[in-house]
Amino acid sequence: MEKAKKRQFGIIATIVLAAVIVLGLMWATATANRNAEHQDTLARVEKLGRIVWGVKADTRLFGLMDTKTGISQGFDIDIARALTVQISKQTGVPMSAEFVPVSTASKMQLLKNTNIDGSVSTMTITPEREKIIDFTNQYFDAGQSILVKKDSGINSIKDMNSSKYTVIVVVGTTAATETAKFAPKAKLLAVQDYATGMQALKSGQGQAMSTDNAILYGFATENPEYHIAGGTFTHGPYGIAFDNNQKPMIKETNAALATIKQNGIYNQLIKKWFSHVPGLDWRSLEAK
Amino acid sequence: MALLQNNFPTFLQGFGYTLLSSIIALIGSMILGTGFAIMQIVPQKWAQVIGNVYVQVFRNIPLLIITFFFFLVVSKYVKMSGFTSGTVALMLYTSAFIAETVRAGILAVDGGQMEGARANGLSFGQAMQYIILPQAFRIALPSLGNQFINLVKNSSILAFVGGLDLMYQGNMVAANTFDTFSTYIIVAIFYLILTLPLSYYIQHLERKLKRAL
Amino acid sequence: MSMIEFKNVEKYYGNFHALKNVNLTIDEGETVVLIGPSGSGKSTLIRTVNGLEEIEEGQLLVNGFDLHDPKTDMNRIRKNVGMVFQHFNLYDNKTTLENVMLAPRLVLKRDEAENKKLAMELLEKVGLADKAANMPSELSGGQKQRAAIARSLAMQPKALLFDEPTSALDPEMVGDVLDVMRDIAKDSSMTMLVVTHEMSFAKAVADRVIFMAEGEILEDSTTKEFFEKPKEVRAQKFLSQVEHH
Repeated sequence: MEKAKKRQFGIIATIVLAAVIVLGLMWATATANRNAEHQDTLARVEKLGRIVWGVKADTRLFGLMDTKTGISQGFDIDIARALTVQISKQTGVPMSAEFVPVSTASKMQLLKNTNIDGSVSTMTITPEREKIIDFTNQYFDAGQSILVKKDSGINSIKDMNSSKYTVIVVVGTTAATETAKFAPKAKLLAVQDYATGMQALKSGQGQAMSTDNAILYGFATENPEYHIAGGTFTHGPYGIAFDNNQKPMIKETNAALATIKQNGIYNQLIKKWFSHVPGLDWRSLEAK
Repeated sequence: MALLQNNFPTFLQGFGYTLLSSIIALIGSMILGTGFAIMQIVPQKWAQVIGNVYVQVFRNIPLLIITFFFFLVVSKYVKMSGFTSGTVALMLYTSAFIAETVRAGILAVDGGQMEGARANGLSFGQAMQYIILPQAFRIALPSLGNQFINLVKNSSILAFVGGLDLMYQGNMVAANTFDTFSTYIIVAIFYLILTLPLSYYIQHLERKLKRAL
Repeated sequence: MSMIEFKNVEKYYGNFHALKNVNLTIDEGETVVLIGPSGSGKSTLIRTVNGLEEIEEGQLLVNGFDLHDPKTDMNRIRKNVGMVFQHFNLYDNKTTLENVMLAPRLVLKRDEAENKKLAMELLEKVGLADKAANMPSELSGGQKQRAAIARSLAMQPKALLFDEPTSALDPEMVGDVLDVMRDIAKDSSMTMLVVTHEMSFAKAVADRVIFMAEGEILEDSTTKEFFEKPKEVRAQKFLSQVEHH
């Protein structure tokens, strides 16, 4: 009798638990779908009077968290600020810029969930990504390179096409997929962020770290024993990302981008962030 | 579901590495944990100090830091992959908790058991092996079960050091397909495939041992 | 020949003086009962004999080995000196039979078939042959104590120590345990030291009675002497209390 009661209780508890899980999943899926339905980003930022930008926190020169102030600083952040000012002017709605640190892995989902309105985060424009989100015109010209120890004897990515080499990349970057095309035999080690990648390179977990040249220049300045070998082997300019089908927002941002390129603000920022990087022809980055 | 189909070999590989890492870490941490538990209760002061320091160090440092320590620092001197660093860190970290659990189990065994065994002519080691530890493990089994389940889940630490585990592969799939939501649901289900049977097995074991008492 | 010999033994627990200048000799084959009020040091004294308690000063010779000498291998002494506890201390994770067989197998490396045969004989002797496969938790208190005695006997010791073996038992269980102990005492080669409150047992079985109070041995007399005319006032008082209870 007692045992039967216990069993009955167990069955009921299991059913309740299963129901909670199923309902929870349904609710979560519904929420995700609702977020996926386009909310008009431009209308939202105008209504709230602020644009929330996703920016990197671990990438020197583009978006690096200042550990004292907790605020990210870099080219991406300055561009986002300039764009916010310009968009405010264009729409006649005063807007402030807010910043949320994002990782390579999280930024797509954060855009979809509208946790962030837009993302200026060293994001290469690719056809795969275009299917899911919208990009503006390019705001920075980049290409993939490898960072190696100066005495490693590696001169280009082609030298690394052997199973004895490991190339360190960051999860979710274009470098993670592109490297396999240029050195298919090399092993890949994907880490969570650039800082870990650099540490892993130093401790010999791999012989090269590969990502966009502009990011690698940041590491090369900090670590004089390392240099960029063989120039760029891909061409992958950066774009500013918004949720899918955000034509009005893309239009405004492209217009703002064109304006700051014309009025010299863009070139000032290029000079501010890249003129002191050794080995980089920063003038080639300027808007013509 | 298409996501699962398209990436099934990837998930399966991750599942395999997670399973392998968990098994190695589980066996290793049981041996180490039991060893350090005994060190903490022997009469020799120096052994107690070593056991205690070991437990306090590994129990109170985040697993991620221990993992990075092996991955980034130790590997400068001893070559080890992300998988190895993560598994070793997981083993040491878990062993500290198991040491505490087993020690509590040993202390919960009636002191008369040890006295009876010693008076009967058994050495300290024999008394431990045949009398005290079997009873201590039975007492500690529910908490040991928790540690084992935590261990399986904590093996996701491998993802941070390229350890090829389930979480790592999940990150890769999510990054390539941009379908973060579904990917992590699939990853969660794979973890459940490991942890649920483990929970049930431990419950079963508890019932069986209770009957044997 | 003396089996157990205390010479000026002192024992402290912190500041508490538990054994005061104990001098005592027990010969091989003797049955000695140790009595006294609670807290008098009887249990402490008996536990020093197989090293469960260490002594601070003096000499304690057991089977010719000095227990106070750090070089003495305690396990060798324990092979020859068995102990029966107030709370039995049977191995809770082993069957009755395994309780009896474990130490001979591990310590004496006794042949498995012979070990089992001997163990069954001992269980037969203490009346527990039918409980061989049971776990200790399935035995009554009296059965547990008889199993514990069988376990000690399996090591074929020269001496057996009994630390209040019947104090934790229900009254109706006491008789069976005492009967078993009486049987063992009949074996003239076995040295027995028994801490007990069972005066009838002491009268019937003991060769000598030791009376202790506050850590000191106050009286050491033959059984007959002790019960007929105890020399010590405190022993007289103790006896009258116990017997009128």
